[in-house]
Amino acid sequence: MTTRITGADAVVIALALILLPYLYLTYWGGAATQGEQARILRGGQQIALVSLHEHRHLSIAGVLGPSLLEIKDGKIRFIDSPCRNKQCVHSGWVSLGGEFAACLPNRISVQVVGREPRFDSINF
Amino acid sequence: MPIFLQTTREDQLIAWLTALAITIHIAESALPSPLPGIKPGLANVITVAVLLRYGWRMAAWVSLLRVLVGSLLLGTFLSPTFILSLAGAVCSLVTLGAAYAISNRLPGRGLGALGYSVLAAMAHMAGQFWSAYLLFIPHPGLLHLLPVLMTAAVMFGLVSGMIANTMLMRMPGDGRNLPP
Amino acid sequence: MLLVTLLCSCSKSEPLYQEQIFALGSLVEISLWGVDPALAAQASARLTEDFNRIHTTWHAWEPSALTRINEHLTRAAAFSVDAELIPLLTRARALSLASGGLFNPGIGKLLALWGFQSDERPNGPPPDAPAIAALVARHPGMADLHIDGTTLRSANPALQLDFGAIGQGYAVDIAIEHLRRLGIHNALVNASGDIRVIGKHGKRPWRIGIRDPRGPGILASIEMQGDESIVTSGDYERYFKYKGKRYSHILDPRSGYPVNGAASVTVLHDNAIVADAASTALLVAGANEWQGVARALGVKHVMRIAANGTVQMTPLLAQRLHFEAAPAPKVELVAPL
Repeated sequence: MTTRITGADAVVIALALILLPYLYLTYWGGAATQGEQARILRGGQQIALVSLHEHRHLSIAGVLGPSLLEIKDGKIRFIDSPCRNKQCVHSGWVSLGGEFAACLPNRISVQVVGREPRFDSINF
Repeated sequence: MPIFLQTTREDQLIAWLTALAITIHIAESALPSPLPGIKPGLANVITVAVLLRYGWRMAAWVSLLRVLVGSLLLGTFLSPTFILSLAGAVCSLVTLGAAYAISNRLPGRGLGALGYSVLAAMAHMAGQFWSAYLLFIPHPGLLHLLPVLMTAAVMFGLVSGMIANTMLMRMPGDGRNLPP
Repeated sequence: MLLVTLLCSCSKSEPLYQEQIFALGSLVEISLWGVDPALAAQASARLTEDFNRIHTTWHAWEPSALTRINEHLTRAAAFSVDAELIPLLTRARALSLASGGLFNPGIGKLLALWGFQSDERPNGPPPDAPAIAALVARHPGMADLHIDGTTLRSANPALQLDFGAIGQGYAVDIAIEHLRRLGIHNALVNASGDIRVIGKHGKRPWRIGIRDPRGPGILASIEMQGDESIVTSGDYERYFKYKGKRYSHILDPRSGYPVNGAASVTVLHDNAIVADAASTALLVAGANEWQGVARALGVKHVMRIAANGTVQMTPLLAQRLHFEAAPAPKVELVAPL
């Protein structure tokens, strides 16, 4: 009696097969992967690789003085810097793989590294 | 008067099946896995076969014993691996229980080994995944693995279902006559 | 087993070399695929040298070859320049004329008046209308520049050159050419968002994300095919604010005022200098004229996002672009160019 596939079996299997694509769409689709870490560079050289999953503040010494960065909830941003226009601060949070923020006068830049970077580069 | 326990043929069969389940559990632990502790759940073959022949309660016994004894033998008792196995087994059993109850009320033959296996495998994987996510690695990055793991679960479920079918052809009786 | 291999392939280390170079007054990213470390280092040094040379030669306000040219242009006499300067001058002239003057690198005086010829323009009042009108009335344009071999002559003393609008594109094209000469055929160069790629990222194409002009996220993505460049000009790049109003550094040469129509224009083309000039010209162009200008410049893949967020695209680009933002914006397909 239990040696063949029953009608109910077929229903279960059909439902399972419908569920799978839904899972892929939900967990794989969307924009650039959430960043896991950020590379901190001074003058183009990487000086640190930090996780974006802790809440912390970082002070990085640049050519003009220290730039202050904040990491929170998978995002990173400049909160202060010794440059004149504070463009870096105004650009706000970055969190997607490939994105970066930079204080050019101070030669400090930050690049978000996604676990599986979906984009090789960002056009803007 | 000396008391002696007489084991029935069924007791022996169940003991044998449990031992088999434990063996499979241990063998599985040797397989590499994308996340430590997450296993394909091939031991579900036994759980489903027992469910269909001896009812849900017996399946629950076999399953939980498998997890417990298996972890003791492997030395992983109370470790994260144990917790994941337990979560998987519990999820699986609860799902099977619900499915069993519904199936018995359906007209026709209800669910067979294949249907139960797929359900059990998916529930097992889901239980393991969510306990891993909630208790050990609450990384958003982990969610990226879920679709792949569930695909594997469905595949393994189908395979174990077919194996269970084959096993059941060789086992005596028809579990639907038993009290729950 | 299959499962494990599948997942492990994501984290396998790839022969991708990536570097950020501080040059051209900004950040330049280079990505090289499948190149051994020694060659990558050599390429990086070469490109840094190239960028620095371009930056020093064409600097619009610090003493440079360009400032010397500009000084000569105020006088009617012909003068000669180094041969290596001619290609950019010739190219810029051709593009400017083709765009009907909407891309006009001859409005250096206007840019200086607005304060955009400096590293950081402070937030203060805009220049007054009569001053702007006076400069616009003199109509400096590339038609006033006569090029004969290595001899230049200006027919308009108000002509002052500033190549800020195509400098990055020009540099990126040179970088790609030099990478090719070094034997590198899979690379990506990104100078302040102006991108050109050659080859592929290993087995897959280079994937580019296009930033949303009005938000921090990614609006759309595109897979680059072979040798292509993508450039976006927007009103959000360099600007200053005064009394709540934003003044972009991209000026409409006809009015003398910053652009005030589209939020951004994205152009896909074979090379970066044309894409750069086109994206600037099309940002200046009004809603009714941009398609004509695009046709004149020979670009066929254009996306124009209006200030209110509506998206217009040419069919060729619509086939290539994949919207990442959900929900996807409303897209109006225009006639093919």
